[in-house]
Amino acid sequence: MANTVIGSSIVIDGEISGDEDLVIQGTVKGRISLKESLYVEGSGVVEADIETQNVEIAGRVTGNIVASDKVELKQDCRVVGDIKAPRILIADGASFKGNVDMDQKER
Amino acid sequence: MAIAKELAGAAGNNTVVGPSILISGKLTGDEDLTVRGRVEGELTLSKTLIVETTGVVKANVAVKNAIVSGVVVGNINATESVELTREGRMVGDIHAPRVIIVDGASFRGRVDMGEVEPGRVPVSRPVVARPTVRPGATVPARPVAPPARPPAGRPAPPPPPARPAAKPVPPPPPPAAAGAAAGAASRGEPAAPVPPVVGAGAKKKVVVKKKAR
Repeated sequence: MANTVIGSSIVIDGEISGDEDLVIQGTVKGRISLKESLYVEGSGVVEADIETQNVEIAGRVTGNIVASDKVELKQDCRVVGDIKAPRILIADGASFKGNVDMDQKER
Repeated sequence: MAIAKELAGAAGNNTVVGPSILISGKLTGDEDLTVRGRVEGELTLSKTLIVETTGVVKANVAVKNAIVSGVVVGNINATESVELTREGRMVGDIHAPRVIIVDGASFRGRVDMGEVEPGRVPVSRPVVARPTVRPGATVPARPVAPPARPPAGRPAPPPPPARPAAKPVPPPPPPAAAGAAAGAASRGEPAAPVPPVVGAGAKKKVVVKKKAR
């Protein structure tokens, strides 16, 4: 499923778009827009606006997140930015600063 | 081809850009990168870039090794090697000490392998240089010489004791050995057939030695 992996030593400054799952273990700055799921792993650092269907964050994200399905903030993640999605899960231990918008009409 | 396989094998668990992914911008890293989708902009790696058949890279690329089976538009600057495989298509310049273009690959652009290839010079030069430059070039002739040494009773490396040993050997096969043998022989007596290149150097040596003694 997840055929795209951005390894831990990789730094991308720019835009990533696509129709498949993306796993980020490295650093991405700029913009991410996907039609599938985004996984930001523990070592992943994202400074970007994110637009996807699903997001699972265990690493660090700075930027606004818009998901058409679900956003999941896992334990030990650090997220700064606004989240807009019909389903938002924040696990115990997650650190988050920003607005949450679950309004389904508006998305 | 062998290179492509060994490098690809080492690339097992690293970064992969899947077929439907587009990355535009600047990408840097210290690990192998496999591109099955598109990468545009600038790409800098300290390891190997593998562009698979579905991969499209429109970027200036700076890597250690590059293996191109897909499409690359842009210049590749590799510190080690660039390989265009059978399915590879590339437009741009290649700058690398080793460039491999396989039959079937398509390429338009310039190739620059550098002025002096550091990998090849040490391999090819000593063979030619040793007999002319060094009188102590008995090293290649040593396998022949030892049988004659015990009677001489001297462990001294200089050529004089090795003279009788070097002479009776009629067919010295490689040019290096022949040069060394001829050089050693010609020092004392005028040796018969001397290869042209070695001959010039050997003659000079002979003249110098005679004058010196």
